[in-house]
Amino acid sequence: MSIPVTVLTGYLGAGKTTLLNRILTENHGKKYAVIINEFGEAGVDADLVVGADEEIFETNNGCICCTVRGDLIRIIGSLMKRSDKLDGMIIETTGLADPAPVAQTFFMDDDVKARTKLDAIITVVDAKHFLQRLADSNEAEDQVAFADVILLNKTDLVDAKELAQVEAAIRRINKFAKIHHTRNSEIALDAILNRGAFDLARILTVEPDFLEEEHGHHHHDHDHDHHHDHDHDHHHDEDGRALYTETTGGLKVLAHDHDTTIKSVSVTVDGDIDPKKFEAWIGALLREQGQKILRSKGVMAVKGMDKRYVFQAVHMIMDSSAGQPWGDAKRGSKMVFIGRDLDIPALQSGFAACKA
Amino acid sequence: MTAAPKNLAPPREFRFDAYVSGIGFEPKSNTFGFAVGDGTLRVIGEVEKTIAVHKGAALSFALDIKNGAFLTGGDDGRLCRVTPDGAVTELLVLKGRWIERLSAHPVTGLIAAPVGKEIHLLGGAEPLRLGPCPTTVSDAVFSPDGSRIAGAHYGGVMIWNLQQPATPPRKLPWKGSHLYLSYAPGGRFLASSMQEMALHCWRLADGSDMQMSGYPAKVKAMAWTPDAKFLVSSGAPGFVCWPFVGKGPQGKPPVEFSGRKEDVMVTMVAAHPKASMIAAGYADGHVEVGDPEQKKILPLAVALTAPVSALAWSPDGRFLAAGTETGEAAIYDLQLR
Repeated sequence: MSIPVTVLTGYLGAGKTTLLNRILTENHGKKYAVIINEFGEAGVDADLVVGADEEIFETNNGCICCTVRGDLIRIIGSLMKRSDKLDGMIIETTGLADPAPVAQTFFMDDDVKARTKLDAIITVVDAKHFLQRLADSNEAEDQVAFADVILLNKTDLVDAKELAQVEAAIRRINKFAKIHHTRNSEIALDAILNRGAFDLARILTVEPDFLEEEHGHHHHDHDHDHHHDHDHDHHHDEDGRALYTETTGGLKVLAHDHDTTIKSVSVTVDGDIDPKKFEAWIGALLREQGQKILRSKGVMAVKGMDKRYVFQAVHMIMDSSAGQPWGDAKRGSKMVFIGRDLDIPALQSGFAACKA
Repeated sequence: MTAAPKNLAPPREFRFDAYVSGIGFEPKSNTFGFAVGDGTLRVIGEVEKTIAVHKGAALSFALDIKNGAFLTGGDDGRLCRVTPDGAVTELLVLKGRWIERLSAHPVTGLIAAPVGKEIHLLGGAEPLRLGPCPTTVSDAVFSPDGSRIAGAHYGGVMIWNLQQPATPPRKLPWKGSHLYLSYAPGGRFLASSMQEMALHCWRLADGSDMQMSGYPAKVKAMAWTPDAKFLVSSGAPGFVCWPFVGKGPQGKPPVEFSGRKEDVMVTMVAAHPKASMIAAGYADGHVEVGDPEQKKILPLAVALTAPVSALAWSPDGRFLAAGTETGEAAIYDLQLR
């Protein structure tokens, strides 16, 4: 049986520790092991709170997707020797951490993979300071890009307009994460724990509207000055088979030199795809551009298959499985990419060419 | 698969119900000690004894031959000496830390516990701390003659001369994450198993090194035949034996053999104390004894069902004890009836 693992990221002061204490003190009758980056901070059930050193280990081949957290492999190995059974594990990362090595640890190490499963990456965002963080650091952007669930926290410290700006900035980076507005990290635990956001078979129950088209509901109350001037519009290619929506993270409103570079784009095919064509395309794409594409996720209709075909990847590490049956639902295929310097027309035409 | 020979007594079987993290045979008391994930040490001689040692799990284990005792390290930060009759002495307490690896030298009686970036060295005139290493020390082992200790870390291995522990250690760099170390009997070679499913090995006389790769799984256990002719490891569906005769294994394929038809991984190995034979435990609990020279296998009666996590011989080679991740254990008597 695999133990679900929740990864908690977010900039210093965003409210991670408050959330962690909330999880630990709530009377849920569950046993969680908590891996924190500074020992003893949480001060709860001490023998299950573990201090970690965030040791990032590359392998000799230098491939970034083989980069893992060595300390996590060790800690999880030791936790598995305990006779008491854990209901879950929560890993808190430092504010400056790149989430990729944490996520990759759960796919690259066989022992970790056999005993645990990545449940969700949760990023806590400070509504008051997020735009500033975005302007002065890469990490804030990476953490939002990797998130499955985002707690847009400290909403009481900003007005409605600021909040909308922050949410729009988040959406430009990551359009598929579930966003919760919170104050003081207050949230129902079942909204963040045991979500199965990485569980391919459950993606549609977690994100029921994943396949629906975006409706251009983003707010436009900031200055756009990015390379593509067609954001938030739907585009159809010549024969109308594929459409895509693209948004960019090129938020320039703060007039800093730093340019946010991550954007997310979705590409869709109206109807079924050919699995052989798709596998060849996505394999080559992630092999070549997996360093730039942080995450990708998709739900597809495959010719001759009653069930949804669900795909996801962290950098170059891919995973796919059969999801729920289509039933009476309209068959359609959609991929979302989050990354830097995405060649959107190429993603669009590449996916369109996978049509069955 | 050939069946277990009928002229062997059936194994003694035990159920400890928690991960067996280490086993060793203490010769003075004629007992096997099993360190278990529920924090106990089980001492099995003519009678069976359960000794509560740690609050959480017993994560690590070593034999303390010099003192006729067992050593266990726990996730309660304690390193304890446990005598076969059940007396527990606390040797080290590091609040909030886990003692995940232990080794002890049979002659000098020195004990090494890598914790964080340092190696805690006990049992000498005064306790010492070696390091810090650049990253967490994942394993620390004594050279066979006890004169040196090697520590594995990310990016290489460091070797301290224990006669001059204050002098800087010898550095053996190799990029990647080094997890477990094993000295060849006689001390000519030092092998390290790596995160990336390979072994790295240094010839200590001249520091030349070699990489042995191609494993389908991470190598978590290594053992040398007593004549130091073969290095045998886990991480493959059978015995993988690298020949260290002559100049070493460069350019030579390993000797590979298995008694299994199924594609099941070897998860643990232990060398026979005298003969050129290795015991291997599989991911499905099967245990075999293999002879790398003859490529011959002695399958033992099936007593376990979970991945074998610990294996140990008695010093005369008559008894072999095995334990699994789910807390099953067995002691095989290899003397023919």
